[in-house]
Amino acid sequence: MAEYFLLGPQRPTVNVDAPFKTIDDQQPVAVVSAGWQDAEGDIDDVGKIVKRPLVDLRLYQRAEEVLASEAWLHEIYRERQDRLQELQRLYRLRLRQSMLAARSLLRAEGDPAILKHEQRHAISQQRALDRHHLQRICAIHNEFDSRIANDHPPILREHSAEIADVLSRCETVIITGGNVAVLLNRLRLFDLGPMLAQKNIVAWSAGAMVLADKVVLFHDNTSQGIRDAEVFDSGLGIVNEFVFLPDAKHRLMLSDKIRVALLCRRFAPAACLALDSGSLLRYENGRVAAAQGVRRLSRSGALRKVRAR
Amino acid sequence: MNPALRKLVRKSAPSAAEVDSFVASATFPLVDGTDVTFVYRGTADAVYLRCWIAGLNTAQSLQHLEGTDLWAITIELPEQSRIEYKFEVVSGGQRELVLDPLNDVLAHDPFGANSVCQGYRYERPDWTEHDEEAREGSIELIDVESKAFRERREVKVYLPARFRKNRRYPLLVVHDGQDYLRFAALKTVLDNLIHRLEIPRMIVAMTNSPDRLKEYAGNDPHANFLANEMLPLLADKFPLVDESYARGIMGASFGGVASLHTAWRYPGLFGRLLLQSGSFAFSDLGAHGRGPVFDPIVRFMNEFRENPGQPGEKIYMSCGIYESLIYENRSLVPRLQAQGINVRFEEARDAHNWENWRDRLRNGLSWLFPGPVWMVYE
Repeated sequence: MAEYFLLGPQRPTVNVDAPFKTIDDQQPVAVVSAGWQDAEGDIDDVGKIVKRPLVDLRLYQRAEEVLASEAWLHEIYRERQDRLQELQRLYRLRLRQSMLAARSLLRAEGDPAILKHEQRHAISQQRALDRHHLQRICAIHNEFDSRIANDHPPILREHSAEIADVLSRCETVIITGGNVAVLLNRLRLFDLGPMLAQKNIVAWSAGAMVLADKVVLFHDNTSQGIRDAEVFDSGLGIVNEFVFLPDAKHRLMLSDKIRVALLCRRFAPAACLALDSGSLLRYENGRVAAAQGVRRLSRSGALRKVRAR
Repeated sequence: MNPALRKLVRKSAPSAAEVDSFVASATFPLVDGTDVTFVYRGTADAVYLRCWIAGLNTAQSLQHLEGTDLWAITIELPEQSRIEYKFEVVSGGQRELVLDPLNDVLAHDPFGANSVCQGYRYERPDWTEHDEEAREGSIELIDVESKAFRERREVKVYLPARFRKNRRYPLLVVHDGQDYLRFAALKTVLDNLIHRLEIPRMIVAMTNSPDRLKEYAGNDPHANFLANEMLPLLADKFPLVDESYARGIMGASFGGVASLHTAWRYPGLFGRLLLQSGSFAFSDLGAHGRGPVFDPIVRFMNEFRENPGQPGEKIYMSCGIYESLIYENRSLVPRLQAQGINVRFEEARDAHNWENWRDRLRNGLSWLFPGPVWMVYE
């Protein structure tokens, strides 16, 4: 049975080697570093740490080659990205108001019996908006997928076959962090979800985010102002029931109990997990088999240590 | 006056030990909300607070506190203010400008150092200080043979951490680069903002001038040097994104003028401008009254105001409200916006100094060159 290891950022604490203490095969390890974009394949440092032979799947480069050689595919790919961007912009317009209302209600003082009902309703509206947005995203993806399925370009088939060949010789896959959108797009273009699910996976940051059933972008305090977490896309759905929040201690205002509580309630029953540098979650047979340094955002706004179940 | 100081001097003659104890236990200047009390200790005929703030007297007299060797003055300073100052001590007919002996917080500039008063709720931004988690970029020196100046000019080039020749990078040209490095912690700021993904990895060319009052004052040879000599050399030596949106130019004071002038002389070359406390003096009628070094600037700015053209696509401007240039900077904003330029203008409770310019770098750089922080989870 495959094991999945979800890690926080590999800086300042490096722990990508930790899973390999329990994964005892000595086969080559496949690497997906597409999130690094044009730095894809720059994996010498990873190799020195995990001490296994590594093979990068070159998904970023392969996708560039596919899109460069198939103009029609490039066109519908770009069209899909434009539609997704527009959808995200419209979602953001509604999200801002909806989150402002929910936060104001959670901070409001008054008769608890009245407040509780209104708070719950505000959060359920937010959840409905997130659900609606994700459905719209999935509809756009489905449309794109069906257009490709009708005319599967040979170059895409060739690359997919090469990737499958590499994966057939690997029991374990490392997925690095990086640009989560780029990473997810490449994994999706080559339809790697089902194949990856059969392998042991060691994934950090963006790599962990794409394994969940939904990908949530977040940063409470960018230099250009406060933003609210956004549902960005569906993930590969390999490790469900979680929303992974890498580097949460820097990206989120974790001392603000209202923000933490709202994030928790917004995505429940999925657990929002802070994956900070040095943390590790081992997921096996649909349960958390081990956890080190992983914290869960709770309804009270506090952070709770995650334990094996 | 600060309550603890008032309590001390209310006694008819506090002992030297009591004064010692008070001085040792307090942090100077004494900040009580928006009241700030400056304290000098020593024997003198008179003591003045010298701070260069537009709107306040340049020299304000400290009051001798009876029965002590303390002198004090309380001024009102709005919250989040930051000002630089010295004391002028008059003794035996001699006048001497000195740093505040009771205050260790100093700011440096090309002329030396000043004491710093950090007003209520001012905090030095953490991204201006060394972060051991941030990977450090490196600095290379290149020489540019200049026909415009008929001599060789040295340029310092910042390369981001994990620089790779097979990638392409935005370019930022910085006037007074050496001063930005020394007095505004530019390298630390770049390392930190890149590490935090708030700006992309970028190459930064830091120029200097041996005669900035001339070369930065709307000077055509200087613009020619940057556009036709330095930029082609940089493009040859480094992998740059060859688009105006990925090319920025910045500077403070006269450096702001030089940035605007170069971008104006070569429209379409620089898409991003960061102008800090630009010395944008102009005259609507008659003499400008700022001295002869401003003559070429006023000629340029008057011409610019007549015909601004398109010096850039996005312009970030900042200026301290405690400097007289605030009026010129404010008046430039609508003129630029009328050209359809996307302008962001930030006013700070600070004056014409390097730490003011340092503290605005995050907002300016991350707006002009937004980093991938929202999408990248490393």
